[in-house]
Amino acid sequence: MTPSILSHQEVVDELAYISASPLDIIAMLGKSHNPRAGAIVLFSGEVRNHSNGKDVIYLEYEAQEKMASKMMEEIIAEAKNKWQLTIAVAVHRVGKVAVCESAVAVITASPHRHEAFTANRYIIDRIKHELPIWKCEYFQDGSKQWGGNCNCHNITGEVGKHVYNA
Amino acid sequence: MLILYLAIMKIQVFAVLKDFFDKEFELHDNITDASALRERLVQWNPAAATILSISRFAVNDEFIDNDFQFKENDTIYIIPPGSGG
Repeated sequence: MTPSILSHQEVVDELAYISASPLDIIAMLGKSHNPRAGAIVLFSGEVRNHSNGKDVIYLEYEAQEKMASKMMEEIIAEAKNKWQLTIAVAVHRVGKVAVCESAVAVITASPHRHEAFTANRYIIDRIKHELPIWKCEYFQDGSKQWGGNCNCHNITGEVGKHVYNA
Repeated sequence: MLILYLAIMKIQVFAVLKDFFDKEFELHDNITDASALRERLVQWNPAAATILSISRFAVNDEFIDNDFQFKENDTIYIIPPGSGG
């Protein structure tokens, strides 16, 4: 492989917010070191083996990928600017994700820990509430369920308006 | 005799909405805005009323308001509340 192809691939990796293949969070973390960053926070949202009292085998994620990518890009740019982050990266899976696999990963880095923690929480909360990405849970008993929709509209009275825990 | 011009709308639904509608379908109708489309789909499948009432619509990969006016051949995405993460 020539160096030019390699560097192009790295650029492509940087821009992929939605991934159909397993997330290599260790590799992502490996690329997230920076001389200016004294704090790196990695959040990995992983598939649990139970939901609503049932045994989960795997989840399947679906996305409106163009919209999800664009929104992810905007959220990350906003967080990066707001907390002056050295690094901000997020990737969400689509397709089948097994128990213990990462469905979404967010990495934030900053000179000091407060900004990296706060921004990471902000990014994952917005991803979970706002992005057009959906999970379907597949259970041991053969049933399936489209799951855990954001219910913020019950509180805010308006679809598309959210409340966050952070 | 009144002849109504029926525009073609391409519609794509996601996630749980696929339990109520085909993933992609065309609608030949004189509907012009998102509110009317929502009502039309509820008439078509009343069981989807609740999920449609909390879903948002998008055209050209942007969310639209209820009064957005559709154009011929627009692809309309119907986006239920997210459950990512």
